[in-house]
Amino acid sequence: MKLPRLLLPLFGLLAAVATATPAYDFYICANINRNYVIGSKIVTTNGIFQRTDEGGWRHFGYNDTSITAVAFDPRDRNVIYTTALNGLWRSLDGGATWRICNSWDMTEGREVAVDPNAPDHVYVAFTDGIAVSTDRAQTLVRREHGLPERGKFTQTIKVDRTRAGRVLAGCEVGIFLTEDGAESWRRVHATTDTVNDLQQSPHDPNIWVAATQSAGALISRDGGLTWTPLAGVPTERALYNVTFDVTNPDRLAIGSWAHGVLTTEDGGKTWTSRNAGLPENPRVWRVGVDPAGRLYASVFQETLFHSDDFGRTWHPNDLAGSLVNYFFTLPKAAN
Amino acid sequence: MKKLIIPFLLLAALVSAQPSYTGPMPVPPADTRPDTLRRAYHARVDETLDWYLHAIDPAKPLTREQALVKLVRGQDAAAVSQRIIELLSVPQSGDMFWMFPWTAIAFTGRDQLSPEARAAIREAWRTYFPMRGDTENHWVMYYASLFLMTELYPDDPGETWFNGKSSAENHVEAKGFLLHWMDLATTIGQGEFNATHYIGEYAIPMLYLAAWAEDPAMRQRGRMMLDLLMAELADNTLHGVLRGPNARTDDTSVLERWNALATYFSWTMYGHTPPPSGYGGWGIYFAIAAHHYEPPPLFHLIATDREFDREQRDHKRSRRRWRYSDVEMMPVYKTGYIRRDYAVGSYQGGVTDPIQAHVWDVTWREDDPRGVHNTMFSVHPHASARVLQMYFTEYPDWMIDLLASQGKPSYGVPDKILGCSPYEQVFQDLDTVIALYAIPPGENFQRVNGFFSRNLRDVTEDASGWIFARGGNAYLAYRPLAPYTWDELLGYRQLPRGNSGYAWERFRPEGPVDRILVSPHANNGTIVQAASADEFESFEAFQSAMRALPLEFTLEPRPTVKLTTLRGKKVAFTYGETPVVNGQPVDYSRWKLFEGPHLNAGLGSRKITISHGRQHRVLDFNTVTTSDYVTP
Repeated sequence: MKLPRLLLPLFGLLAAVATATPAYDFYICANINRNYVIGSKIVTTNGIFQRTDEGGWRHFGYNDTSITAVAFDPRDRNVIYTTALNGLWRSLDGGATWRICNSWDMTEGREVAVDPNAPDHVYVAFTDGIAVSTDRAQTLVRREHGLPERGKFTQTIKVDRTRAGRVLAGCEVGIFLTEDGAESWRRVHATTDTVNDLQQSPHDPNIWVAATQSAGALISRDGGLTWTPLAGVPTERALYNVTFDVTNPDRLAIGSWAHGVLTTEDGGKTWTSRNAGLPENPRVWRVGVDPAGRLYASVFQETLFHSDDFGRTWHPNDLAGSLVNYFFTLPKAAN
Repeated sequence: MKKLIIPFLLLAALVSAQPSYTGPMPVPPADTRPDTLRRAYHARVDETLDWYLHAIDPAKPLTREQALVKLVRGQDAAAVSQRIIELLSVPQSGDMFWMFPWTAIAFTGRDQLSPEARAAIREAWRTYFPMRGDTENHWVMYYASLFLMTELYPDDPGETWFNGKSSAENHVEAKGFLLHWMDLATTIGQGEFNATHYIGEYAIPMLYLAAWAEDPAMRQRGRMMLDLLMAELADNTLHGVLRGPNARTDDTSVLERWNALATYFSWTMYGHTPPPSGYGGWGIYFAIAAHHYEPPPLFHLIATDREFDREQRDHKRSRRRWRYSDVEMMPVYKTGYIRRDYAVGSYQGGVTDPIQAHVWDVTWREDDPRGVHNTMFSVHPHASARVLQMYFTEYPDWMIDLLASQGKPSYGVPDKILGCSPYEQVFQDLDTVIALYAIPPGENFQRVNGFFSRNLRDVTEDASGWIFARGGNAYLAYRPLAPYTWDELLGYRQLPRGNSGYAWERFRPEGPVDRILVSPHANNGTIVQAASADEFESFEAFQSAMRALPLEFTLEPRPTVKLTTLRGKKVAFTYGETPVVNGQPVDYSRWKLFEGPHLNAGLGSRKITISHGRQHRVLDFNTVTTSDYVTP
């Protein structure tokens, strides 16, 4: 069996953990405008930030409060995709210039994913469905066969790194799977409310975890074909996202406005609230783990916090007043 | 919810005298000859421009609006050019609210501004990244601006525009959306209909298309859509005051009906009401190009003629629903009944806009509406994260909590009087309204709020169960269907804006205050009947007539009303069922796009006939033609 391309950089990331200087680049999509309303006369810097070697954050790209996700072409990190209120943006020059790839009939991009095994193929989650490009977003077409006419609000989309054209989407009414590059979709799990996040384990590609609005967290051990609830994760309030720890296959973290940070260190059997040290009643917007195992929690319009002991203690990081929509890691760029 | 729409908050900071705002109530001209109306229209436009010019402080730099007005008047192009370069030398903000003002400056100044100033404007369209927004008014502003700017710079490559698309690509895309929106509005109806403030967000871009589009078809379409907006405004106003229902309004305008940007347009077009303070803020952006448009005399007649009772039925649609709904856009069946002394308006209930919709009211005429809360209605104070999620792409938890900090202070409070509810169903027949409520367990607020203005007179709680009142020259009868108590309605005072957005405090206004009738019952209802004082010998006679009306109602298991109205109609209405009038179910499937004495169009027709008496204007979007005719 051919080794999936994305595993190579992932193994590189794991190996880099022991080195003094991180061998990866860590990105976030952040909004630092408190309560920005469209049309506001507030000017701050928002969008993609890259963590610097000194631990700070360097902004690059266009200034937009609404960027929800970022993805890179695995062959060329100068090719960057973002989703935002205006839709799908693409840069071919490392973020110096950008182009909106969609027309007026697509809006409010929620997430973008590049197929590591077919890097010209880009999948985009929109408020009213799913669009696909097969030419690095030069053109973008809807591919929604199998999605319901109503219920295709798509919050999250992820490509299975093991096979080209195998993609999972978290929609209003469940989790949908395509195995033919979005030529057709089928629902593999039904929900009554939106599926907010999907993540594939970096340790075992057959394991996927979903965070949902009202069905708690779900786990699949067969590549997303079947899903079961993760016992111990509350279901009464929305979960915003979930993240694996690339350094430890037993560790996951969940971010939630109502529950703050929840972690497991036994592969999801038991879950612990890890909010001590965060602001009272932390309204956690996102959690993320960098390849060194540092856990981050974006507390709504407070700041970004980090923990080096997987949530037992927290430290304010930076970006006061921020709201982080996305964490993303890449192998470090060659100098 | 960072993507909510802000209201028009561009308040003029300047307080020099505004002749029409502070002056006596205007009297519509008795002389309605076209040239007289034209002169009066342009005089009002000039008043707006003059106010901005007179407010210029030589010791202070020009505002963007002052610079624009100077260009309109052809003054000081060199100084204005320099100021524009300064204004654009700092980081920009405002998204589509940035785009249309700079479009106006680019076009107004294209033959006056220095090459450097024009270059600064052009460069800003490369370096500033405006968001397109999430509502139709945002998109109309965004794409109308982009359409015009790409006509001004038709051959520029993608790298010279913020979105990386060439002029040609942007032009095609902008045209595509604008045609799509116009098609929706002229087939199944406007989404953000009768908006008290957001009317400007449509009227201004349409004016700019009418004024500056090089494409003759788009220029014509802009003028036609502006005609439609202004004709609807004329038809829906009571002596210049836009009343309900409204797809979008706000906590101020829903009570003080006059105090809205819509009033600026009433004043500018028809001159029969004073303009709001600062000419509504955004009004200046209409005034600067208003000489490219003038309403036809027939619109003036529609706006000012209130001697004949008339009923108008229109088809509209809700805001687009992304999720948690079986339909993308809910059809809206809107009814309006206007008489000389009052107007009654409604739609059938349900959620058309998640925050700022206003479903029904009776609004009475005031000789001077400034500062008067001349309206009566009831609402279920609905607040729901799930309903917000229908329209917004956000997560559920934070929206209700934080709407206040984003400029919507009343959304999550129990005594709110702004908004609609999925648990309200309304039927209107002429000047009778029946609003029924069936609020399920678990909803935040198990109550109905009835609004009773401080400006009502002779409010009488009658032993019959009716509450009688007088508003202006109208008699009003309000029947709560469940027990109630009274509360004073507190206001919202904005505090200094801090790091956490808008901040508010509730306060008791000085002097007489509005009251809300609080009926804390889940199955509930309100009946309102209005009449003109001239119809009865006395207020007591009106009350006697109301007491004598046959009325049966029950609230369990579902609210049901059987009523013979003051106009002799036998109405039966049960929550969840089709209303029945004189034994005939109301057939909403036959509702036209417009149907009434002044506006008529078939659903899906793209052809609207606007009439008053023998005069007619036909807006045919199929052929992109406007034709006027007079019946012999």
